[in-house]
Amino acid sequence: MTELPELNPVIHGKLRLALLSLLIGVEEAEFTWLRAKTGSTDGNLGAQLLKLEEAGYVAVEKKFVQRKPQTLYRMTDAGREALTEYVQALKQMLGAAIDA
Amino acid sequence: MTANAEDQELKDRLSLIETMIAEGRRSTGSWGWTFVFWGIAYYVAIAWTAWNHWPWAWLVTMMSAWALCWGIIRSKQKNQLKRNPGTTMGRAIFSIWIAMGVSMALLLPALGFSGRFNQHVFVAVVAAMLGVANGASGMIIRWKAQIAAAFVWWAATVAACFGSDSQCTIVFLVAIFLCQIVFGGYAMVCEARLRKQRGGSND
Repeated sequence: MTELPELNPVIHGKLRLALLSLLIGVEEAEFTWLRAKTGSTDGNLGAQLLKLEEAGYVAVEKKFVQRKPQTLYRMTDAGREALTEYVQALKQMLGAAIDA
Repeated sequence: MTANAEDQELKDRLSLIETMIAEGRRSTGSWGWTFVFWGIAYYVAIAWTAWNHWPWAWLVTMMSAWALCWGIIRSKQKNQLKRNPGTTMGRAIFSIWIAMGVSMALLLPALGFSGRFNQHVFVAVVAAMLGVANGASGMIIRWKAQIAAAFVWWAATVAACFGSDSQCTIVFLVAIFLCQIVFGGYAMVCEARLRKQRGGSND
């Protein structure tokens, strides 16, 4: 019997998983856009994005556009790789469940 | 947790990933108006040239249209509360149109200044370039209506190489009407429907 992979705990959180899945399809996204898409609160969203940033899965850029602060998030190569591995692990686990 | 509940949890995660990826790639940018806008700009240039045969009419109209179009796009972006993030697909389509615009802006005046310009060559070149841009964009976003517009431009390219000057003008006018005014209007209707479906938001 093959050993089942472990799911990456950083990605496994629902909001963090949603954020990485959103970011994989775009080049970069504003904080407000991510908040609108996920429907989460500023505090929770900021905390989850910080965890992803600490893990090296997203990169943050803060700038001013027409004197208004703008925070942009971009997925890193490590984040892309981690999400791909997570999906593969999920599929493997589901496959094992069907075979059982 | 039972095995079934665990399976369901895993399936939910996969479904969440799929939904969010689709949501991120969903583009609700409204570009239909640009087709109508440029269609009107072509008509203005044609009418101006026909009216007083001023050789700079096309160049002046196109440059003014570029400036006005850019200004409208910038002002629309400024007024958006939540700006849509750029996608690779969006950048690919934008690049095609910009490259086509630059090619036309270089080639057509160069043909004019070198004295190798004539109406048939002009219509054939413009129609071919618009065919390429519409065809490529339509294939990228898999939109049959835009691919159909590309076929109309390609047909106009071939037709412009034959017949009299007046027939060439008619071909150009008809192609502009179908591919800019009608297609642009249809695109605007589709975009309005999509916005309505998604609750009237501009994001």
